[in-house]
Amino acid sequence: MAAYQLLIIGGGLSGIAAGIRAARFGLNTLILEQHHRPGGLNSYYLRQGRLLETGLHAMTNFAPPGVKQAPLNRLFRQLHLSRQRFAVHEQLGSEIRFAGRSLRFTNEIALLEEEIAREFPEAIDRFRRLRSAIAACDPFAAAPWRSTRQFLDQHLRHPLLADMLLLPLMIYGNAEEHDMDLGQFVIMFRAIFEEGFFRPGGTMREFLDLLARQFREFGGELRCRCPVAAIETDGDRVVGARLESGEVVAADTVLSTAGLPETMRLAGWAGDRDRYAGRMSFMETISFVPRAAAPALIPDQTIVFYHHGPRFDYRRPEDYLDTSWGVICFPGNFSGLPPEDAVQIRVTNAASYPLWRGLAAEDYGPVKERWTQAAIAASEEIVGNYRPSIVYQDSFTPVTIERFTRKAQGAVYGSGIKLRDGVTPWTNLFIAGTDQGYLGIVGAMLSGVTIVNQHVLR
Amino acid sequence: MSRDEIKDVLLEIIADIDEEADFAGLDADAPLRDQLELDSMDFLDIVMELRKRYKLQIPEEEYPQLATLTSCINYLEPKLQTV
Repeated sequence: MAAYQLLIIGGGLSGIAAGIRAARFGLNTLILEQHHRPGGLNSYYLRQGRLLETGLHAMTNFAPPGVKQAPLNRLFRQLHLSRQRFAVHEQLGSEIRFAGRSLRFTNEIALLEEEIAREFPEAIDRFRRLRSAIAACDPFAAAPWRSTRQFLDQHLRHPLLADMLLLPLMIYGNAEEHDMDLGQFVIMFRAIFEEGFFRPGGTMREFLDLLARQFREFGGELRCRCPVAAIETDGDRVVGARLESGEVVAADTVLSTAGLPETMRLAGWAGDRDRYAGRMSFMETISFVPRAAAPALIPDQTIVFYHHGPRFDYRRPEDYLDTSWGVICFPGNFSGLPPEDAVQIRVTNAASYPLWRGLAAEDYGPVKERWTQAAIAASEEIVGNYRPSIVYQDSFTPVTIERFTRKAQGAVYGSGIKLRDGVTPWTNLFIAGTDQGYLGIVGAMLSGVTIVNQHVLR
Repeated sequence: MSRDEIKDVLLEIIADIDEEADFAGLDADAPLRDQLELDSMDFLDIVMELRKRYKLQIPEEEYPQLATLTSCINYLEPKLQTV
């Protein structure tokens, strides 16, 4: 018998959630994480005494306790965590801003409807019918790829409104360029507009501690600083993993959350890895500004999605960064959070992985500095000037993301082609996480849960 | 295990799976899923918990026999006789 019944590659949210499920029902489970702490795309780091989160702007899928079928609450039951004792902070309010046009929304979709009625009275009836059409969709039923753009053209017949609705849904959860699978659109529409944004009480550190503690309490083992060098195979089965240290860990079943291209590389899985590398990556620019100097907009906005230009096209930019559209997030602006001395402003813009990757070592720093300034300048047009007041600034690029998370090409939403059933050419190797297809924090965790339920527990 | 003991075990398992489970007015002959708003993932947990506690292997095609509290007890009674 192998040392472990289940070996999970990657201590991100999908990996830990998968581990909790397996360990809860008595499987001897090991999670291997390459980094010195878990979290993957949603981790944190410390700089000058500040804790900076890597991925989190907000969690989606807000639901109060008691709504039993809500994804968030189903997830908590599956992880055997108390939803009632989990403190959450809802968003104050967010805004989608296109040239001269604005739609505000909160976790009450009635506000979005009012805003559409005000800004686009000609389209409000069609928007209401669109909501009914979305409510009638089952995004989890197996279905061929369908174009969201076509679906919106047909239901809204309003390109500007369609673009405005798509911006937050794409930027927070679309791996494909230009268009989006209808199933994914429906999932994201519900997650963001019907349910909404919130933050857990505390930081990502406390949230990860909660999950890691639960995993260990069920008897699971989490080893950090253990990069996997290869998945060992024998015919149509995998037998375990070889670490970069040379150690070999044998396991009955292996679950990889490293993404499709990286899993292909580790297992020697023949195929075109580039085909499965997502093209959407981002640069994140984080600034801290003293509260006294914070721009006027900051007190009541949580997230602003902005776009300048004629049509919104979600794609990898031709330059290092595309600052003509993006997200500006104020992680301190959630209901009930104590005011902090320094306000944090996070700006996210689409970035071109190949250009960042191609930079010579001596050019990387100056180029990053130049684009950091460009991202800040673009966000100042939306929220007001804050650059002179910045007391601390940091940014990360697609190259940083790839290095810390192994997501090929820094594609935070993974491959444009998803492997919904998690099945690979090896009978006991499965895929969970980003490239299985459920995205975001709640989605990633449900991905780990679902794949373990389907393939490991029964 | 007696029928009453099996019933207590089942309710205890469900209460452990769902901190909000409300058994007041539970009809033992009506589907548990509808009454307690459980989904297939919660249902799997009942099966997994029975496996963990009593080494019971319940094949998927027999899940329908676990639909109501009474049918669960009928199904489990012979299997838990010696427990």
